[in-house]
Amino acid sequence: MRPLTLRRLLLQCSILVLILFVVVVIAVKFGAVPVSLYALGRDLWHVLLGQRADLSSDYVLIIKNIRLPRILLGIIVGASLSVAGTSFQALLRNPLADPYVLGVSMGASLGSILALIAEPYLSVSPAFAALLTPLGAFLGAGATIGAVYFLGRREGQIDSATLLLGGVIISSFLSAIIMFLMNTLSGNLRGLSFWLMGDLSTPLQKNAYWFLGIGFLLASGAIYTTAADLNLLLSGEKEAMHLGVDVPRVRLVVYIAASLLTGLAVSVSGAIGYVGLIVPHAIRFIFGSDHRTLLPTAALGGAIALVFADTLARTIVAPTEVSVGAVTAVVGAPLFIYLLRRKLS
Amino acid sequence: MKAFARLRLRSAVSAAAAALLLCCAALARSQSSTSPLSSASPVFREVTDETGRTVRVPQPVRRIVSLAPSLTETVYALGLQDRLVGDTDYCDYPADARKKTKVGGAINPSLEQVVALHPDLVLVTKGLNRLETVHSLDGLGISSYATDPHTVEEIITSSKKLSDVLGVPEAGASVAGEMQHRLADLQQRVGALAAKRVLFIVWHQPLISVGKHTFIADALRLAGAVSIVDSEQDWPQVSLEEVARLQPEFLVFADSHSDSAPPAVEMLATLPGWNILDAVNNRRFAVISDAVNRPAPRIVTAIEDLAKQLHPDAFVEKPENGKEKMEKENPPPNQQLASRYSFSLDVLHDHMTISGGRVCAR
Repeated sequence: MRPLTLRRLLLQCSILVLILFVVVVIAVKFGAVPVSLYALGRDLWHVLLGQRADLSSDYVLIIKNIRLPRILLGIIVGASLSVAGTSFQALLRNPLADPYVLGVSMGASLGSILALIAEPYLSVSPAFAALLTPLGAFLGAGATIGAVYFLGRREGQIDSATLLLGGVIISSFLSAIIMFLMNTLSGNLRGLSFWLMGDLSTPLQKNAYWFLGIGFLLASGAIYTTAADLNLLLSGEKEAMHLGVDVPRVRLVVYIAASLLTGLAVSVSGAIGYVGLIVPHAIRFIFGSDHRTLLPTAALGGAIALVFADTLARTIVAPTEVSVGAVTAVVGAPLFIYLLRRKLS
Repeated sequence: MKAFARLRLRSAVSAAAAALLLCCAALARSQSSTSPLSSASPVFREVTDETGRTVRVPQPVRRIVSLAPSLTETVYALGLQDRLVGDTDYCDYPADARKKTKVGGAINPSLEQVVALHPDLVLVTKGLNRLETVHSLDGLGISSYATDPHTVEEIITSSKKLSDVLGVPEAGASVAGEMQHRLADLQQRVGALAAKRVLFIVWHQPLISVGKHTFIADALRLAGAVSIVDSEQDWPQVSLEEVARLQPEFLVFADSHSDSAPPAVEMLATLPGWNILDAVNNRRFAVISDAVNRPAPRIVTAIEDLAKQLHPDAFVEKPENGKEKMEKENPPPNQQLASRYSFSLDVLHDHMTISGGRVCAR
């Protein structure tokens, strides 16, 4: 592995930031309502020069209040899922690990739904009530990855095929419970199928973006402190331990932080699959698998991928919207099969 | 050297984090400086909608967006079609409603498209639209008015209230008066007769019928029928066994195009298990307009139509209405059966995915 230089990291990141900027511009331009980038740029320029007080009201409402918040949500959720996927892949030493495939997203969904059911019965202040669903999602994600890890272990070592099978089975078990809850409980739970497929269309409260952004920075920062250890872990848990890595500590930090990332993402956007699978693979293919550069570049890559997928989701059959989860799954599932076959052969 | 690189890396990471935070702050500030669009029209009237929300309605209401087919029909019935600037993909009646600018489905309308139409008021209905849509519109400073009728009587009062909110109370009174008049006439004819026991088929695979708290169940009652399904749930899935035990006298289908396609009962007769029902074997059924699926003024026509098919004797002084209809409903079967169900499926889809939505979006 080449030694890490700031130059290389900055170079890789700035390339991706540039791509992200282009994708964001595309996402701002396209949508159910056509927007002229030239006119927008001209108006922005006039505002900067002080010749106009504000943009015309069309831009204000559509771009500032609908598209940009949605793009921001896509950036945070995409980056969270991608970092979570990258860390699961490193920790489980399995290139097919992904929050969705391992059932962690489904666990977070169930946690959110249970929190939603419990909310009326718990007399908590409104400020705390808003935190209940992300908290439920985090606990659900954490419990699921714990169960999958337990199922995937054989004689002290993680068995790749058993791990994936465990994830698939837990995922279908959890979705059966969700189905059961949706069928038996009346009222607003029946409509959750829309959210379950993955959806970025509803603007959140302003505070929620801060909450998500800070949560993402804290959790991915925590994972980043273990980046060098994750590199050593690639050669195996025992080997890493001999090389001086405090494996139980790394495992704990990464599991908690990755569960937090998945929980946050799922609680606002439902279970969007395969972003955590495709993106880390693409980034590794282009930039190599040093986690000290992989983690930040994968975060940027996840943001690019999800913002792009969401732009597709809202423009393919505009003004009708497709679930963004459907778009990522259509692209991601075939890639998953390809990776699986390559791994088996 | 490695330690140095690590140090530099750390400062780079923190710089990146700071930059991201700055971006967030800039965006948040630019968002807070936004003023709602509707400030252009300064006069507001406060009304309470049928879900109990207090709504500030700009006066006069010149631009309306409807997010439900029933509301689109009501707006047309009130003669306000020129003020309707947008509706949903499913708004297909009257035919002119298809030509309006579409804002997507009722469940997932495109907020952008709604905003671009500059509506003074967006009309929603609790039974079909999602709460999140209403919250999003609130956040964008766009007024929305929600209806929530559960009986035919409530459809009448709801239309009346809506006409008042939209500033045309006379049109509402006349629409309501005509509906009440026709229903009273119907009541005279079939009110005293024994109600026919019917199975209203929303969808057949799986079999879905209507619960007792729906306006459709109420519409059946007014037509001199009673649903054999007595469920608390609005759109209950019913087992064929249970239906066989209850043996409905008639099956009732709602259909969007009543003349061309063959009766749906012919297809049911070919499905395994359905010959357990006498109504299927004896072809005892009624096909009425899909207006019965929509809580709008046109539902009265569907109720009359059903009453005529179930109680033809009550309409003997106008025999052509009852008998011809029954004969017309039994043409030879053909292969286009699926098309008969297309609309019912839309409605079912809409109803099955209503009112829930996201977990963390408050």
